[in-house]
Amino acid sequence: MTDTLDGIDKSLLNRIQGDFPLSADPYSEIGRELGISAEEALSRMRALVEAGVVRKVGAFFDARKMGYTSTLCAMDVPQERLQEAASAVNSYPEITHNYLRAGHPNMWFTVIAGSKERIEEIISEISVKTSVCPIRNLNATKMFKVKVDLKVGE
Amino acid sequence: MMEPRDIELIRALQDEEIFLMQRPFEEAARRLGWGLQEVLERAAALKGSGVIRRFGAALTPRNAGFKANSMVVWEIAEEKAMEAGNRLAGHPRVSHCYIRPCFDGFPYNVYTMAHGNDPEDLERIVLELAGIASAASYRTLDSLKEFKKSSPVYFPRPTEPAGA
Repeated sequence: MTDTLDGIDKSLLNRIQGDFPLSADPYSEIGRELGISAEEALSRMRALVEAGVVRKVGAFFDARKMGYTSTLCAMDVPQERLQEAASAVNSYPEITHNYLRAGHPNMWFTVIAGSKERIEEIISEISVKTSVCPIRNLNATKMFKVKVDLKVGE
Repeated sequence: MMEPRDIELIRALQDEEIFLMQRPFEEAARRLGWGLQEVLERAAALKGSGVIRRFGAALTPRNAGFKANSMVVWEIAEEKAMEAGNRLAGHPRVSHCYIRPCFDGFPYNVYTMAHGNDPEDLERIVLELAGIASAASYRTLDSLKEFKKSSPVYFPRPTEPAGA
């Protein structure tokens, strides 16, 4: 996909990834820096979102500072029940990511909720619905980094 | 803990479509019925206090040229984990890094997400990381299937009663 990005797209991505201007007219500001019009900056952004290069433009929140708590969970699901278990896990809006991974345990999901109690409640409900036990709650004891800001176009 | 007006602003700023409009914060102000100045000032204050980590864009790593992405877990002696975690997190191709508890049959306590241009590049990066991790062992947990990937919704509005 990077093959189809031109130099301006790459500059735009690198400029906007970590710092979208908090101002009345952000696209003018970005356009000025890159030597394009505000309209072109916006239409390029829209095209990058449309093409799936950009997953999200906007505000990135620190959930913990808003009183939310999050964790990573792992469970080992027998092959023939994967789809059924995935449906049970995915049904919670508090669960934002769920992946099948190589090895054991094989199902890995993240939960973000207003309290530790709510997370425990979700985990025990899933355990009942899927008959998988234990589900490991791998609450981070230290977080070093959570920023996806990868330089494009090296 | 959060002020009601901040919560209203957070709800408005979670609507990602406004950021694909020419004047996103003006649109947020219009929807909230506030002045632009208050939106900019409160948003700046939320950014200052770290509630908003940043305004920016998130790439789909796969489509932005990072076609190979993996969760790599490391078994690192407890007394070395902090230092190793800092080194791993400092690598430009590592996006996430945590210390988590280990469990029976799974001795890995440091978790990283690593991104490569292709499988060979990722393999090279993982070897680089192995060189700085001082780990007893590690495993690359390739994702075989994405069952779900969504953005969290903070402060959802209470659902309207049926028929309201």
